[in-house]
Order: sequence, then structure tokens, then C-alpha cells
Amino acid sequence: MTLTLTRRILLGTAFVFGLAGAAAADYPDRAITLVIPFAAGGSTDVVGRIVAERMSADLGQQVVVQNVGGAGGSLGATQVAEADPDGYTILMGTVATHALNPLILKQKPYDPVADFAPVSLLVLVPNVLAVNPELPVQNVQELIDLAKTQPLAYASSGNGTPLHLSGELFKAMAGVDITHIPYKGSGPALTDVLGNQVPIIFDNLPSASGHITSGKLRALGVTTAERAPSFPDVPAIAETLPGYETYSWNALFAPAGTPPEAVARLNAAAVAAMADPAVVARMGEFSASIVASSPEELAQHVKAEMTKWEPVVTDANVTMD
Amino acid sequence: MELLSNLGLGFSVASSFANLGFCLIGVLLGTLIGVLPGIGATATIAMLLPITFQLEPVSSLIMLAGIYYGAQYGGSTTAILINMPGESSSAVTAIDGYQMARKGRAGTALATAALGSFFAGTVATFLVAIFAPPLTAIALEFGAAEYFSLMVLGLVMSVALAHGTVLKALAMVILGLLLGIVGTDIYTGTPRFTLGITQFADGLNFVALAVGVFGIAEILRNLEDEHERQVMTRNINRLFPSGPELRQIIGPVLRGTGVGSVLGILPGGGAILASFASYTLEKKLSKHPEEFGHGAIAGVAGPESANNAGAQTSFIPLLTLGIPANPVMALMIGAMIIQGIVPGPGVVTEQPDLFWGIIASMWIGNLMLVVLNLPLIGLWVKLLTVPYYVLFPIIMAMCSIGVYSVNSNVYDLFAVAFFGFLGYVLSKLRFEPAPLLLGFVLGPLLEENLRRAMILSRGDPTTFVTRPISAGLLVLALAVLVLVFLPQIRKRREEVFTESDG
Amino acid sequence: MATKPRDDTDMIAGLLLMAAAAFFGWQTAGLEIGTSLRMGPGYFPMVLSGLLFLLGVLVFLKSFGRTGEPMGPVAWRGMLFILPAPVFFGLTVRGLGFVPALFFTALIASQASARMRPLPALVLAVLVTIISTLIFSYGLGLPFRRVGPWLDF
Repeated sequence: MTLTLTRRILLGTAFVFGLAGAAAADYPDRAITLVIPFAAGGSTDVVGRIVAERMSADLGQQVVVQNVGGAGGSLGATQVAEADPDGYTILMGTVATHALNPLILKQKPYDPVADFAPVSLLVLVPNVLAVNPELPVQNVQELIDLAKTQPLAYASSGNGTPLHLSGELFKAMAGVDITHIPYKGSGPALTDVLGNQVPIIFDNLPSASGHITSGKLRALGVTTAERAPSFPDVPAIAETLPGYETYSWNALFAPAGTPPEAVARLNAAAVAAMADPAVVARMGEFSASIVASSPEELAQHVKAEMTKWEPVVTDANVTMD
Repeated sequence: MELLSNLGLGFSVASSFANLGFCLIGVLLGTLIGVLPGIGATATIAMLLPITFQLEPVSSLIMLAGIYYGAQYGGSTTAILINMPGESSSAVTAIDGYQMARKGRAGTALATAALGSFFAGTVATFLVAIFAPPLTAIALEFGAAEYFSLMVLGLVMSVALAHGTVLKALAMVILGLLLGIVGTDIYTGTPRFTLGITQFADGLNFVALAVGVFGIAEILRNLEDEHERQVMTRNINRLFPSGPELRQIIGPVLRGTGVGSVLGILPGGGAILASFASYTLEKKLSKHPEEFGHGAIAGVAGPESANNAGAQTSFIPLLTLGIPANPVMALMIGAMIIQGIVPGPGVVTEQPDLFWGIIASMWIGNLMLVVLNLPLIGLWVKLLTVPYYVLFPIIMAMCSIGVYSVNSNVYDLFAVAFFGFLGYVLSKLRFEPAPLLLGFVLGPLLEENLRRAMILSRGDPTTFVTRPISAGLLVLALAVLVLVFLPQIRKRREEVFTESDG
Repeated sequence: MATKPRDDTDMIAGLLLMAAAAFFGWQTAGLEIGTSLRMGPGYFPMVLSGLLFLLGVLVFLKSFGRTGEPMGPVAWRGMLFILPAPVFFGLTVRGLGFVPALFFTALIASQASARMRPLPALVLAVLVTIISTLIFSYGLGLPFRRVGPWLDF
């Protein structure tokens, strides 16, 4: 009784119903939800919103961003893994949700390979090793030498984050011990390094770039194999420690079982969005390099990342329940 | 005068027709959404973030800033009218503001809050303009040891918030600290007190806790005996503070502004303490401390000024360093990045129109808010004449939406129900919710900084007394402790011969 | 029985605090305590649980030897309808969708007052639903489905 009443009222006030259309041919015929598994305002959120806006124009349907933060991205990823595989719920996955968390978490809420249909690897974002300018080191080698003679500490955005593991990989490859100090996010970690409470930081290049440019932080090296185009004067850590390579990445995933036509349509929209000059310019300012891969390439990438990180996670003994 | 030319530049940017419009839209939206129960500034900005992407960078930041302090104003309104704070800062306003409202002085309380906030906002805006760079330097002196000592000071002060027994207030602080620990330990990744629920891995939601222990507990209290109890006094005679009342609030407003401006600068918890600190200060300075908790006007004027001053000066680390002082500022940084602005020390020199435009718009926004809010007070107060049994289903619906909108987390809604129950039980047992809330907010910061300080000092606990700022704060905490407990001890002696339980 | 005066409220309060402390203490049991240099995740909670227990004991002991105010009536009906309202919203907002979930939430909550009669309750719930949908879903564009998959035909 009450239900029919609600419905009549709804119709009476001319609400538009967004009922699911099952046919793939007219996909998408309603708004698509892009789940961002982190709080609004972070770098994944920024990338997601820029891409969502451009994809909406291409798909002719609104791509609505929904932030589902929590548990290092696991909550949002789990929500998408369990969502209806109809192409109307997709995830902005990251190195955390699709490589690190599955390795770190003791209880695995989802399987990064089996539970998802890859759509497209969008961008790679370099990390950076930087120090407070009062620390008497000019390059990576001097830092390694100093770390061998005196105890040092480095700040990261949190336990088990890509930045923490970048630091652990650095320690392992350089053969030094530097105490890890985790923070709740990149902002507070940066504050303490700027105030020289902690001398060293591993951070995302986009969030540290303003401080590097102004000289408040001294960048010793970027974590990508090559130098970052936005900072050609900052060497790659790999120039001192050959083979060192880490980066953060963002990629679109749909739940496993999503119709291939829908995945293809989403992939086309994502690739088109990443080719848009305005998006290219934004990503450039953001120090992110565009990949815009095929679904198959993303599947390969996820496997490669898990293979790469597994020994680092094991050696650093990073776990979470 | 460089400052004058800079401010001139700022006002020329902020007073362009479009920017005035966006500022107005921002404060209007912020006020309206802030007034809805269960929805605070963070949720508001997160909801409205996408709208600003289409705008010019200056306009979008002016609008976001407007939403931020608009929501602060609006949040105080709900705290006063229905005892439902949306932010930790307005939890303090709820203590005496709500009691004033129950006594038919809702209009006075709202006007006091608006006037105090405006004054504090004006002063703090000029502080931001004049002292932003040197103040930033002070903020950077704060390391883990200093924050730990600051949190200790805050907790000691929270006991003074209580108008019941100190013992029970302390118990509430500690219960709050324990509830604040729920979630993943940031040092080891170990989940604590989560009962195996992944949704609580990032801790309990503040809004859920505040809405539960304050708002829902209050609704339940009002439903206890509907036939006898009149929820609100219907006779609301005067809206604006009288002459004597105005004189009463001058001191608290001035002191609150000072306390708030200083604490607001500290990223990571400073601004949270501002309103609590001001309340403690006013209660200690008052000739009638017994009025606090029963509708003391100074208990509204001081904390409201402090919280608005803190809200303004918390922009200092954002604008000069690109560092967020609170979750709202983190959202603003996201907005800047999306607009293609790299937040950091370069903003002042590279984009002076942006920097000074935002500062000027803060003052304009505060002016708009006071002009907007004073006439609205009449309307808000009329809301109190709506029968309570009509009002609370609306409140429950808004709370549900508000809490869910923060993170789309269903468990946050379960937490609302649980904390509503807990809050009601606690109030039946004559515990007070404000110390619990402060403990909850400060707990994680206290532990995080204690452990970080110990790691950084390599296990040497003297780090807290050998660092001068930290030592100073601890001495202050000791002084407050003595001030709080001395009257208790003295009263105890007097009570030995009587039977009253104080 | 001519009992000694006792403040029942404070006695229960003390017992409640002790119970809460015991719960947190029990939950802390599995956590690593660590050292003062490297405090483990259990260090801080353990100290706090101990303090809370101590305070509970003090409140309990102080309740004897004096009388307190009575506790007053309890809002049973209020608890029965107010507390399930947000829980219901949480359980159904994804399945039923925003509009019906909110309607029933408001309807359930409205039953908490004995003064609320069925028809006004229905009208109120409908109004709340319409206004909230306009504000949150259309105005602010919150990413909730207005009608969820359970109602798909």
C-alpha cells in the first residue's frame, strides 16, 4: 500500500526513473558511477574527476564520481568487486588497490585479478625522494653514505602505502637502515619534513612539486626509471641504484563479468579522454605520464606489478589484518 | 605600504561582480547546508566540490572558502537550536547555546554567535594578511613532541568543560580516547577494536558519534515523557542581545578571537582545540562559573569567536605552505590541483591575485554572513515553534543522509544508532558528552604524536621537557590542572560536614 | 530494610565504566604492547583501559553513603523507533534506492512519538522525501540511485 503510494507520488511529481536497461546495444543509457576508493581531494580523486568529466562528454551519459574512502582503498575496491557487472559501476584502481593491498592484507577482501575486468591503465605518477635542505646531502649517493654513518628517519604517507614501500625498496637496494615514520596522509608528512622534524620524505611528485620548485625541499631523485619530463634536472634514483623503479598508477576497472561490449565502450571513452589536449595539459602539470592502455595491457600490468612488489612486501615484513 | 597595495589588489579581485556573486553563493549554500542537522563543513564541501570545477580558480576557491565558513555559521545554528553539532568546534557551542535556547533565549544565543564570529573573522582575516609568513614559521616549529604536549593541555582543559563531577568527566575523556583508537594502527597496520569490521578500519566517523551522543540522545530525552515536558519555551521575546548582555560578551569575544587565531595556525588539531580552550578560559575567568552548562552567554560568545578565528587562520598553512590543516583544507588543495594550481609556497609570489583575492573574500564573506544571518535568526527561532514530533523525524532523515553522504559507508549509520543509544544511556547516568567528544578527537593525535616523538627521540622521554615549546605547554597543562582541582579539593573540605553531593 | 543511602545512578555508572574498561582491556589482550621506544599498538589502549577501570571503581565506591536524583522515565518507545531509523536507511539505501529508503526512514522515526497520528506521519514522510530528493539528489547531485535494483521490473 505505502509502496504503491510512494510510486504514484513519484510519478505524479514527474520524477524520472533511472531503471536499468539490460541491452548492451544502447549502453550506456543511464549514469555510470565511478568509485574512487580514496577521500575527495587526493591525487587519485583529482585524476578521476578530470577523466570522469571528459568521459561523460564522450559516452553521452554522466559519469558520477563517488568517493568511498577507507582501509587504504580496499573498501571502495571491494564495493566495485561486488557490484552488478553491468558496466554502470566502475573503479578508479591504483597501485594500492590492485598490487599492494592484495599482498599486504592478511584477509583478502577481493582478488585483484579474478574479481575485476580491466578497462584501461590511464596514467603513471612518479614518486620522489626529497630531503629538507638543511640535511647536508646533495644527491642519492651522499644520502646513502650519510645513512651508513648516522641514524636517519624518513616520512611517508602511511604504513603499507606505495610511498612507504618505495622507501623500503630503496633501503633494501642501498643496503642502509633508515627509520620509517608513517603519517596519516601526505600533508602532515610534508609538514614535518618542511619543519625539519624529519629530514627525508618519499612523496608523490605532484604533491611535493610546489615545494621542490620553491626550494623548501631538495629533490634527490624521482622513483621512475627515467627522469620525469616536468623535472628534467632531478635525476632518477635508478641512475645511482640501477634497477630501482617504483611509481603510482591509476587505472579503470569494471567488476568481473561485465559484458565485453561495455568494457570496450568504456575503454574507447577512456582512451579518447586521455587524448584530449586539455586532459593532456592537466596531466602534464600534474607530472603524470599518460598511458591509456588496452584492457589486455592493463591485465598484464597488474600481474607484473604484483610480481614486482611481492618480494619487497615480504622483505619489509609489511602486513595488515 | 606593500600590505595596503596587496590588500587593494585582493579587494579588487574579490569585489569583481562575478566573485562577489560566487562568494554569496558559497556562504548561502554553506549556511543552508550547515543548518541541516548531521551535515558539517567537510561533507558539504565534498558534495559541492564538483560544482566548482567549471569555474575560474579564484572564483572556485572563493566559493569553497565561503561554503566552509558559511557551514561553520550554519553548524552553530543547529548546535544551538537542536543540540546537534556538525563539527567538533560547534560541540562546545551546543553546551550553553542549547541551554539558552531551552530557556527561550535562542535568538540571543544566535545573535551572539553571529556577532562574535564576525568580529573574530574580521580580526583573523587581518592577521592572515599581515602575519601569514612569520606565523607559518611558528607552525613549522611544532613537531611530534609539541603536538603531544598540546594535546595533553587540551585534554586537561576538557575536564573543565564538565559541569558535573570531575571524576565522571575524566572517565568520559578516557572513554573518548578509547573510542578514538578504533581503527587501524598507523604504525603497524594492526586493526584495533574494529571487531573484525573492515568498514571501521579508518576509525569511527566523527559525525556519526557527534550526531549520536548529542543529537539523538537529546531527541530520546525529549521523548521520555511527552505529556509533561515542554521541550522548548515558546515565549521568545527578544532576538538581539541587550546592552548589559553586549557588555558581557565583549571580553569573551576578544579572548576567544585571540585564542582561536593562535591555535588555528597549527595544522593537525590546533583549530580543534580553539573552542574548547576558549570555553575553559571563560569558565575560569567568570565570576559565575556555576552558570556554565546552564546557558551562560559567555560560553557561546567565547567559543564561537574562537572557532571562527581558528577557521580563518587555518588558511595560513594552506596558503603559505600548501599544507592542509584539516580535512576541509585537504579538499581545497584538491580543488586547487584540479584547477591547475600547484599548492605550495610559490602561490603568494606567483599568483598574488589568487592569494590576496581569497584573503579579501574571507572578510567580504564574513560580512555577508552577518548581514545574512541576523535577519535569518527570526526565522530559525520560529522553527522552534514547530511541534517537536514533527521536527525530529525530519532531523532523523537529514542525519541519515548527512552521515551516509560523507563516505557512502553503511556502517556509519549503524554507528549513529549505537552512539545514539550509548549517548542516551550516558545521559541517564549523568555523564556529559562534550569531554567524550574531545577525547575522541584528540585521542588518535595524542597517541600518534606520543609514539612518533618517542621514535624520533630514540626512546628518550625527556624530549618532552627539553624542547622549549613542549615544556611550556606541559607547564601550562599543569597550571590548568591545579586550577581545576583546587576548587574541588577546597569544596570537599567544606562538604565534609554536609551531606550534599556537590 | 533500613539500608544505607546509595546513589543508584552513580553505582550503575561505575559498573558501566568497569564493564567498558573490561571490554576494551579484553580487546587489547591480543595486541602487542611493545617498549617505550617502539610502543606497540597495545600500549596506549592498555594504559587507558586500566585508567578507565580505576575511574569506574572510584565512581562506584563514591556512590555509597549519599543519595542522588532518581533516574526518571526511560524513552522506550523513542528508542524502539528512533534507533532503527538510520539502520533501516543504511540497509536499504543501496537496494531500494534513495527515495523509498528515505521515505520509510522518516516514517519509522515519526512513530517514536505517541502524538504522531498515521495520516500526518504519512504526509510528513512524503514531504521530507520530496524535499530531500530535490535538495540532495537533484540540487547537489549526490551519487545515490533514486530507485534501487530491488525495485527493478
